[in-house]
Amino acid sequence: MIHLNEVTKVFDDGFVALSNVSLKIGKGEFAFVVGPSGAGKSTLIKLLFREQLVSAGEIIVNGRNLTELQPQEIPYFRRSLGIVFQDFRLLPDKNCYENVAFAMRVIEASRRDIQRRVKHVLDLVGLLPKAKIYPAQLSGGEQQRVAIARAIVNNPAVLIADEPTGNLDPETTWETMRIFERINQSGTTILMVTHDKPIVDQMMKRVIALENGRITRDESKGVYGYED
Amino acid sequence: MKISTAEYFITESLNSIRRNGLMSLASLMTVALSLLILGVFIILVMNLNHMASVLESQVQVTVYLQDSLKDVEVREIGTRITKLPGVTRVNFIAKEEAMNRFKKRLGEQQGLLAELGEANPLPNSFEVKLDRPDRVKPVALAIAQLKGVEAARYGQEVVEQLFSLTRMVRIFGMVLILFLGLAALFIIVNTIRLTVFARRREIGIMKYVGATDWFIRWPFIIEGVLLGFLGACIAILPLTQFYSMLTGQVYESLAFLPLLPKYPFMGYVNTFLLCAGIGIGALGSVISVKKFLKV
Repeated sequence: MIHLNEVTKVFDDGFVALSNVSLKIGKGEFAFVVGPSGAGKSTLIKLLFREQLVSAGEIIVNGRNLTELQPQEIPYFRRSLGIVFQDFRLLPDKNCYENVAFAMRVIEASRRDIQRRVKHVLDLVGLLPKAKIYPAQLSGGEQQRVAIARAIVNNPAVLIADEPTGNLDPETTWETMRIFERINQSGTTILMVTHDKPIVDQMMKRVIALENGRITRDESKGVYGYED
Repeated sequence: MKISTAEYFITESLNSIRRNGLMSLASLMTVALSLLILGVFIILVMNLNHMASVLESQVQVTVYLQDSLKDVEVREIGTRITKLPGVTRVNFIAKEEAMNRFKKRLGEQQGLLAELGEANPLPNSFEVKLDRPDRVKPVALAIAQLKGVEAARYGQEVVEQLFSLTRMVRIFGMVLILFLGLAALFIIVNTIRLTVFARRREIGIMKYVGATDWFIRWPFIIEGVLLGFLGACIAILPLTQFYSMLTGQVYESLAFLPLLPKYPFMGYVNTFLLCAGIGIGALGSVISVKKFLKV
């Protein structure tokens, strides 16, 4: 599903963010990416999203070679991915339903499909009763669930989460993780960057550790491995 | 494009205008003011240009003939002048006619001519009209070569100065219009950039969920076009009013001043301003959004 082959990313100022990284994540896997800040985790996500281009090596996501992707193909490629951010990034002037529907409307889905899918995913994250509520009136955990609903509404094959629990308290963190697990069980590949030691240690999923732009550890049932 | 998508674009742009009400009003007035100034300059330049060409077209060559010529020879010279390239009309002015005109011009002072008695010192002549003002000089030179022609005059210095003046007016006017257009564009780009900036998160999310660049651009373009169009309408009203007042006044009291008539001239100016408003609005949006599409 995700395949990095000797990927190196050097920025214009000469900073090497990733150096010779090779990685394979199969369909339906759930993998954590851990590591200190500045290790290259954010860069990895930007490369996977084709927000940035590799300096050397190649990345294949969903069978598409990102090094060969034409600029006009990028939007269509991104439709096969879902992304969840630490800061939710919901639109404050749209209610829950509209926030989720927005992701379908911008890819020109039909009105009927939008209605059906949005209801379905809001139900999945347990927020169907709050569909008409605006983000400002929701708790952080609820906001993140709306963001997750938005990320999966277009049925992405891969869901990428960038510290999705970074702004949440422990209890809502677990609620959110259960939703991710449910999404993963339905066949969606999940790659999650996190600093949250308890969830990594308890979920016993694959753990990939990045340090100074290199993979230092890749265990199939790993733990967080840092003291913080 | 699907109908629901088009609907979405239009509601989005209308919402955006409403949400940024004050900002939209500011850009609307800026567009209107820029186009109004642009319109005033276009009217000014076009009229100067028109006056210049009226003056130019009034330039003619006067051909004085030798006194000793027979009628046949005079007619012969007339046909040869007619055949020269660019000549549109040749009028024969007999010496008697010339004297009458001269008397008329002297008016009350025609007593001065009494000394002459029956003698008429003025020569027979031709008035030669040309299709293009820049042909005056070569035609005059060619006529002067003809046998029996005393002289061919066209007020050399005046004509040449007039030509350089009209050329200046044209070039300067074009440059001025271009600069004013660019200034209007610059102002619109900056105002629309503010509304785009206010919605940069939205644009970022759209990029992440896989919206195409054109999908993101459309609502902003519609917004820009709407503001440009409305701004042009606001500019057109006082401009048209002003011009019809001006032409009305001038026709009454300064009839010799060759102003362009209101129809169809103001129609052209207004169409141009509308197109300029729409074009500047659309272009301004495209430029403003560009930076935020790089996600």
